[in-house]
Amino acid sequence: MTEPATIAAIAVVTVVTAVISVRGVRIARTPADFMVAARQVPSFLNASAISGEYLSAASFLGIAGLAMLEGLGALWYAVGYAAGYLVLLVAVAAPLRRFGAYTIPDFAEGRLESPVLRRAATGIVLLICGFYLLPQLKGAGLTLQVALGGPEWIGVIVLGVLVTLGIASGGMKGITFVQAFQYWLKITALAIPAIFLVMFLHHPPIGSIGSAAPHSFDQRTTIEFPASEQLTVGGSVRITAVGQVDGRTRDGALTLAKGTHDVAPGSTLTFPAGTSAPRVESNPIPSEKEWTSPLLHLGGQPIHTLAATYGILLATVLGAMGLPHILVRFYTNRDGQAARRTTAFVLLLLGCFYIFPAVFAVLGRLEAPGLYVSGQTDSVVLVLPKLASAGIVGTALGALVAAGAFAAFLSTSSGLLISMAGAISHDIMDRGVRSFRVAALVIGVVMTILGVFALGISINVLVGWAFAIAASTFCPLLLLGIWWRRLTWIGALGGLALGGGASSLAVILTMAGVGKTGWPAVLLGEPAIWTVPLSFTTMVVLSLATPRALPNDVVAKLLALHLPERVRPPSPRRPELSPLLPPISPARVPSPQVAVPRGGGIDSDT
Amino acid sequence: MTTHEPPRRQVIQAAPRRPSDRSVSPGTDDLYQPDAYGRELLSSLMRAQAGVSLAVLVPAISLLALYPLLAVLLPSLAGYEVLGLPLTLLILGGGIYPPLVLLGYWYVRRAERLEQRFVELLKEQ
Repeated sequence: MTEPATIAAIAVVTVVTAVISVRGVRIARTPADFMVAARQVPSFLNASAISGEYLSAASFLGIAGLAMLEGLGALWYAVGYAAGYLVLLVAVAAPLRRFGAYTIPDFAEGRLESPVLRRAATGIVLLICGFYLLPQLKGAGLTLQVALGGPEWIGVIVLGVLVTLGIASGGMKGITFVQAFQYWLKITALAIPAIFLVMFLHHPPIGSIGSAAPHSFDQRTTIEFPASEQLTVGGSVRITAVGQVDGRTRDGALTLAKGTHDVAPGSTLTFPAGTSAPRVESNPIPSEKEWTSPLLHLGGQPIHTLAATYGILLATVLGAMGLPHILVRFYTNRDGQAARRTTAFVLLLLGCFYIFPAVFAVLGRLEAPGLYVSGQTDSVVLVLPKLASAGIVGTALGALVAAGAFAAFLSTSSGLLISMAGAISHDIMDRGVRSFRVAALVIGVVMTILGVFALGISINVLVGWAFAIAASTFCPLLLLGIWWRRLTWIGALGGLALGGGASSLAVILTMAGVGKTGWPAVLLGEPAIWTVPLSFTTMVVLSLATPRALPNDVVAKLLALHLPERVRPPSPRRPELSPLLPPISPARVPSPQVAVPRGGGIDSDT
Repeated sequence: MTTHEPPRRQVIQAAPRRPSDRSVSPGTDDLYQPDAYGRELLSSLMRAQAGVSLAVLVPAISLLALYPLLAVLLPSLAGYEVLGLPLTLLILGGGIYPPLVLLGYWYVRRAERLEQRFVELLKEQ
């Protein structure tokens, strides 16, 4: 299945990325450049970069695949990923930029003056980024497998090596341009094939989008079965089989009688054009009613599906603000107002992008029933262009989509690796450029190895958990830290511990297979619905109980968060990013707005 | 204690400043005074900003939460088709984004105007 066009497209993406990075390196000289690109990025470019970094494997491949498999309710993931930026815009963007914190650990320490809290926040940064990085690597494995054949781990290693070398040598100045370029590449790579497919595909009449059976193969379709499977055919079908069917080894023509048949793992069945797709026991094609329902299919009762849907919304909407690799980028805005404009642009760019996964989900249901049969709906975006048109157009579109997918993994993985290396070099090592590079190399290698072992877990599931943990930890810390003056470091620490612990425990229990139906499935599978309120409540109650742990100058800190830059007093002590200084947190080098209250009361000016 | 000189007497010509005496607008310095007046200024700024934020969040959250709720209460809703396309596809596949983007745009304008007013208030001094 090796396709030179696809290899060429992926190579072009990688080379262009490398070139832009290397050009960026000339400008990146200091640790501050590495971390925040020296605060000179205009709003629209920055918004493109944030979107480019944000749109990951889950957005590019996962949402379309899940919506095809389970129904349109899965599009709530996309809606939540985008709507999260509205919450970020109105509650976090401007204050966080004004406060001058580069990262969430910086914010935690600067706002609440607790090194312990800082270390806890660093640990959670590593946890969230780790959970988020694994599915990117898996997505790369899947993409290279669809394009080139061969085992999945090849893609994991290729991406891991590329990203690690890129970060260890480039830094973030380059990455800002790379990420912006990659947003536009990604939306182009989805939009052109989607528009082409909608216009030129002789698909069934639009009115039958939801209708389920009979799904038939429009063309000769070969399906590989990675796991053992039970197929039910409605009438006898003459197929070509290689492998074991109903316990007997086959290699050639075979007639499947009406009824149920066992297919052994590793078998390949080829269905001629015009035959109807068999029903697969483990992966039944959802009925029209199920598929068009705006609810997630978790648990049986309506109340369960509603709770699960709200759980997804809560995790995605509130989790977006807690993603460490995204928040770093807000510091590259000139001031609080620029941060707001950037965020509003991001919302627009994401809204435009998320139309296309829905298009692919619908086309996949209409055109590629074979993916339900083989259980590979996750690859619908990659496979559809080739299924829809043989010849050079299909090949070109397939190559374009593969390149866009690879861009998605490259950009998100880069951002995640920067955050992890930044957290480690800043909090554990000596904070120089050298230690940042060493940390990037070490984490890159470790995560690549972990990525090879985590290939079995679905992309959406891993990303969903990263969001649930972020929503239960950093979201309450940011919202309360910015808007509530009575938050104490003890309260914040308790909330991080309980919210992070409870959501991680739910993730581990779900992985272990606990709770498959009913309320346990909902509460463990979508933990945000109870861990987010738990974390908020803990922070509020513990803070009210520990008023002595309040930082000394709460008013000054709130002013630093909320006062527009124009009315701040000019001060010679304003910290500039000096060449040898690592990222500054307000707690360590007091910025003027934090340090101002001196002298007595209102009459001290004699 | 008796060895000390008696306290030096001093005549103060200006009237003492009290918060109630302010005839002009507050200035930037007032914000940094840790008395009730500075805190009140800060609180009013934060309240105004939080008000604009809530004016965006409440409709946005209602918009997101309403459709799943309606789908549970009225199961036939999801079956509706508009122009041959399922209602769910039209809403979740694109229709929900324009209102969210408009709310975001409106927020940016309101927040910037609010800050402008606050800055003018401080600079009138």
